Amino acid sequence: MHKKMAFSFPDEVLEHVFSFIQSDKDRNAVSMVCKSWYEIERWCRRKVFVGNCYAVSPRMVIRRFPEFRSIELKGKPHFADFNLVPDGWGGYVFPWIAEMAGAYPWLEEIRLKRMVVTDESLELIAKSFKNFKVLVLSSCEGFSTDGLAAIAASCKNLKELDLRDCEVDDLSAHWLSHFPETYTSLVSLNISCLGSDEASFSALERLVRRCTNLKTLRLNRAVPLDKIANILRHAPQLVEFGTGTYTADVRPDVYSDLAGVLSSCKELKSLSGFWDVIPDYLPAIYPVCSKLTSLNLSYATIQSPDLIKLVSHCPNLQRLLVLDYIEDSGLEVLASSCKDLQELRVFPSDPFGAEPNVSLTEQGLVAVSLGCPKLQSVLYFCRRMSNEALVTIARSRPNFTRFRLCIIEPKTADYLTLEPLDVGFGAIVQYCKDLRRLSLSGLLTDRVFEYIGTYAKKLEMLSVAFAGDSDLGLHHVLSGCESLRKLEIRDCPFGDKALLANAAKLETMRSLWISSCAVSFAACKLLGQKMPRLNVEVIDERGPPDSRPENCPVDKLYIYRSIAGPRFDMPPFVWTMDEDSGLRLS
Amino acid sequence: MGRPTSSSSSIDSPNHFAFSSTASSQRDLTTDLRLGLSISIAPPFVREQWPPMKAAVAEEEHECNSSTFYVKVYMEGIPIGRKLDLLAHESYYDLIRTLEHMFHTNIIWAEAEMDRDHYEKYHVLTYEDKEGDWMMVGDVPWEMFLSAVRRLKISKC
Repeated sequence: MHKKMAFSFPDEVLEHVFSFIQSDKDRNAVSMVCKSWYEIERWCRRKVFVGNCYAVSPRMVIRRFPEFRSIELKGKPHFADFNLVPDGWGGYVFPWIAEMAGAYPWLEEIRLKRMVVTDESLELIAKSFKNFKVLVLSSCEGFSTDGLAAIAASCKNLKELDLRDCEVDDLSAHWLSHFPETYTSLVSLNISCLGSDEASFSALERLVRRCTNLKTLRLNRAVPLDKIANILRHAPQLVEFGTGTYTADVRPDVYSDLAGVLSSCKELKSLSGFWDVIPDYLPAIYPVCSKLTSLNLSYATIQSPDLIKLVSHCPNLQRLLVLDYIEDSGLEVLASSCKDLQELRVFPSDPFGAEPNVSLTEQGLVAVSLGCPKLQSVLYFCRRMSNEALVTIARSRPNFTRFRLCIIEPKTADYLTLEPLDVGFGAIVQYCKDLRRLSLSGLLTDRVFEYIGTYAKKLEMLSVAFAGDSDLGLHHVLSGCESLRKLEIRDCPFGDKALLANAAKLETMRSLWISSCAVSFAACKLLGQKMPRLNVEVIDERGPPDSRPENCPVDKLYIYRSIAGPRFDMPPFVWTMDEDSGLRLS
Repeated sequence: MGRPTSSSSSIDSPNHFAFSSTASSQRDLTTDLRLGLSISIAPPFVREQWPPMKAAVAEEEHECNSSTFYVKVYMEGIPIGRKLDLLAHESYYDLIRTLEHMFHTNIIWAEAEMDRDHYEKYHVLTYEDKEGDWMMVGDVPWEMFLSAVRRLKISKC
């Protein structure tokens, strides 16, 4: 007998309700309520996010979500940013493009991070998706300007082309000219990573002139300062702008041209670029500073006094990226001028120098933490730290969601007491209850991991290097951090015990990276055998791991959950441990 | 790149993860030079891929590894610079010769003689020192120059 529930809605109504639910987490939760909700949800999901391209196969995604318009894929592990992942490791996007091209032509958006993208992939995108609108490639590599030319020539509805931090083979300066004269839809263009591109200034100017909806334009270093005025003149509606090289002979006409054109950009909120800055040209941007919410000076090699002057003109700054030339004194000014500051990144100007070249210490970070009530995200490189400073920071700024501290010299102790920094970082995790991301540095024992396991209940990503004394450290983290999704560890004395004892935990995480630690090949094999839904990949450029004794530590280990099984595109220096690994490794 | 392989030392050895800042340098320099240059000589297995920074930001200033010292060279009027390994040169004369070849011009420095009637064929070589000042190349001893120089500029006369 059919008993119709009094409160069941027709599918169309549910679909309409679901359309207001945008976050992946919520969508996933909705799909698990019951079978009919799963079915309705999967037909109306328009945006798919795949945090690890090897966790699932393209066919599986397409089968489950037949009508998505937008996909985001991530490939290599985060430590690839620091050259810890050898070339050829993987992360190829082509299989995904090939499957999607075959399945349906209405894909509109592709966002990729740390993936290998070939010209062939770009050409296939250009050919297959008639309404293609958004291409964001973040820290990707493997393509050249030829691939970009194909995109420019074919994607008539392209709105966004963003190549942030990519490695591009700069073959021809003329790819920009492949945008047809009839093409006017560009809203966002980020080519800041491209190398020399001298000859295409006129193509760039013409493109900017006819794309009247352009809101974001990030130029590359090759665009000289005196060309910027000509480009900006045609785009006073810009909201985000990245300069090219910011140096030239000091000429009053160039200066006034630039200053004039900049002051007519009334919507400008974000500035970046500033390669090779000379201070003489900085005041040209003062007229726009009061509206700026984001400023990226990570290439600006100017000294503290000029940085201070600049920063004091920007009371509405929410995001600042800067070199340590700003020094403690500059950060104190920042703390008193920029009360809306939410994110700060301070990079080292001389990371390999034996002695500090600037006066930037823990004091700068303390000043900003005390002075900026909205500060929630920090990436800070410095040469000394104290528990006292960290406790002060934690107490005054419990709203941190991302806290990444890099004390440049590994295993540096508290400079005041010579003790480990366990207590300081312990305070961070104890007071900052919403902390989602943490990077540790300095001298640290197993104690700090005990604090993290006890308090960091919302922590999703943890980065550890040169820390801890024993397996107990790793055990604290794996057994205590309930929300942990990504864990990356290098050069720590963590071995088999903690890993094997917490094997089940690994299925609740996206991935675990361990390199230069003490995990033996035997443990890797065991893990691979026992956990069929984990891909346990040993990366070792010294040669096959079974050519050494089983108890030898592996060089690098990358473990991730997957429903797609082991991958088959591995280079010769990567081995997957699976159920048969005991039998068939060769 | 010299990374010590794990198989050559026991896992329980206390030195397995030790970091020593006085490990022997792989460079082949005179003592004077090493003292004059404040370049880190940390052992490569730690310095490699540390500190954790994306390549673009880390390589901005000097690119110093075991036996090279690259500085940027800009010629006035040309936005694209070149890079030059100063340690590949023995003396000022060596450096000037390379630059004249790289930039197809005649270089004026502290010890050069110039034909004053044809000044347009010459360029002046200056360098930016640690204090940010631009100085003519050639006044101080070569080793002292190497410890002070940050980048080079070739300007019209």
